[in-house]
Amino acid sequence: MIVVEDVHHTYDVDRAHPVTALKGINLHIEEGEYVVIIGRNGSGKSTLAKHFNALLIPTSGDVSIKGMNTKDPQHLTTIRHSVGMVFQVPDNQIIATVVEEDVAFGPENMGLPLQELRARVDEALTVVDMLDHRTRPPHMLSAGQKQRVVIAGAIAMRPACLVLDEATAMLDPRGRRDVLDTMQQLHAQGVTIIAITHFMREAVEGTRVIVMDQGNIAMDGPPQRIFSQADELRQLGLDLPQVTQLAERIHRRTPAFPTPLLSVEECVEELCRLPQSAVVSS
Amino acid sequence: MTDYSAFGNLTIGQYLPYGSLVHHLDPRAKIVMFSLLVAGVTFASSFSASVLLLAALMGIVRLSRTPLRYALQGLRPALPWIAIFATLQLLFYQGQYGSDVCSTIWSWGFINITTCSIRQIGLMVLRLLEFMIVISLLTLTTTTAELTHGMDLLLSPLRRLRFPAHELSLIFAIALRFAPTLAGELERIMKAQASRGADFGEQGRLRFIQRTRNMLPLMVPLFLSALRRAEDLTLAMEARGYTGGKGRTSYVTLSAQPADYLALGTVCVFCAILFFLPLETLDTLIVATVSHNMQEVYSLIAH
Ligand SMILES: Nc1ncnc2c1ncn2[C@@H]1O[C@H](COP(=O)(O)OP(=O)(O)O)[C@@H](O)[C@H]1O
Ligand SMILES: [Mg+2]
Repeated sequence: MIVVEDVHHTYDVDRAHPVTALKGINLHIEEGEYVVIIGRNGSGKSTLAKHFNALLIPTSGDVSIKGMNTKDPQHLTTIRHSVGMVFQVPDNQIIATVVEEDVAFGPENMGLPLQELRARVDEALTVVDMLDHRTRPPHMLSAGQKQRVVIAGAIAMRPACLVLDEATAMLDPRGRRDVLDTMQQLHAQGVTIIAITHFMREAVEGTRVIVMDQGNIAMDGPPQRIFSQADELRQLGLDLPQVTQLAERIHRRTPAFPTPLLSVEECVEELCRLPQSAVVSS
Repeated sequence: MTDYSAFGNLTIGQYLPYGSLVHHLDPRAKIVMFSLLVAGVTFASSFSASVLLLAALMGIVRLSRTPLRYALQGLRPALPWIAIFATLQLLFYQGQYGSDVCSTIWSWGFINITTCSIRQIGLMVLRLLEFMIVISLLTLTTTTAELTHGMDLLLSPLRRLRFPAHELSLIFAIALRFAPTLAGELERIMKAQASRGADFGEQGRLRFIQRTRNMLPLMVPLFLSALRRAEDLTLAMEARGYTGGKGRTSYVTLSAQPADYLALGTVCVFCAILFFLPLETLDTLIVATVSHNMQEVYSLIAH
């Protein structure tokens, strides 16, 4: 669905000091994947994300969405309609003064007739569970609710893919959980999800983890494989999720204990299964 | 307690959901009506016309069921300035207005207080009051969303003349959308600066001067933050396929009812009356009477 071929990107706002944020990225993302991108600050995650819906055009190399090259201005609107984007600060992405009108903004841009607009707004607000707040002004909502409105605005365009760039960074744990649940739900409905995060806990939600470092892809694979390479991750400035760290430490004392473990539930289950003797002997 | 809520007194942009007759009018009709009334306030240069306007506005306030104090609250921060201007006018007004009808009440050196300067101040205060009432009435009874859609639709015929109607109303909507956000931000910046020793105290009679001066260092961080937000917003709009007003449809639709035409008609007739009645003459008559300038009255009656 998304194909990235040898993409370089250089910001030359300041001509004396151009910054090369991407240095030869190659990447295939298939339909229905849930990809999580992690990496330390400035590693180029946001720059890569903005290439997925033609907000940025590669300095060299090609990005194509469903076979449409982002360099081709003719495909621009189709690409924008196929790939939705959610950014970090919910407040700065809400345009209208009423929730439902903001959700309608994208579909309005698509030129859909009134009946279709209404259907899409209802549907999107139902998915993010904000139907009760449809006529409220956005500034009265909590950060988590605002971010769900933003997500509704993106999915009202029925994109095949949704890109979330640190969309949970400004939220409290409750709001974060709500947004993550929404993402899982969309993924279950067949939407391709690409999530950028710096919370390792969220990295295990996906089916595939990509680790970026200094404009390159450093690691790429299923979460089980990525999080079994604790030392490599640490070298890239990243930690393991807390549960995984815990499991690893138990594993060091009791080799029978499996590692890596990615969720609290898994860990609890394994702990219960541990023979009494193993715990006592160590 | 120091008051950090910078816009606590600002009633413009607030909406009171009282569901009155005025609330239910079509926003387009309301925008036209209130524009006419603003024009009335601007061009009615006579005292009598201003009094008539005030009476009419009070009527609308009653109909809208909004408490009058709400409509007038916005005036409070401006009170010191009004007082200063009024004093200046009182002392130095040398206007042309019918100087032959005026009589001097008190005079000392170049200061000359006449019945005309008092009329002038009365007129100014009345007009300010009326402006405040008209504008707060519109926003107190109309949601910002209704306002922007009303504007958009009213201006849309001009699109054929390449007038950027949609863009203008979008700018308007975004400004309204971010007003509370930026107000909250301003409050945060004020608290941050106060916690490091900045003085936003409100003791003392001259506090409004101090408050105005203290606003300056707040503007820089606020401006920077607004710019950052604008950048984000542009990106978000672009990502949602925004390419200008062309080919867009609208989620909100409006339909005018007979009541809207009736209200609009009434306001039109009222403004016409203000415009065509010889209210200036009435003014002259009143001032002349008050001035005990009986001769003037006789000659007027004789005409
Ligand atoms: N608009 C921009 N102009 C100039 N340089 C930028 C811009 N955006 C990002 N960069 C630079 O590109 C690099 C990658 O940034 P970014 O993609 O935002 O990384 P991440 O999202 O992983 O933190 C950084 O060195 C950053 O300073
Ligand atoms: Mg980033």
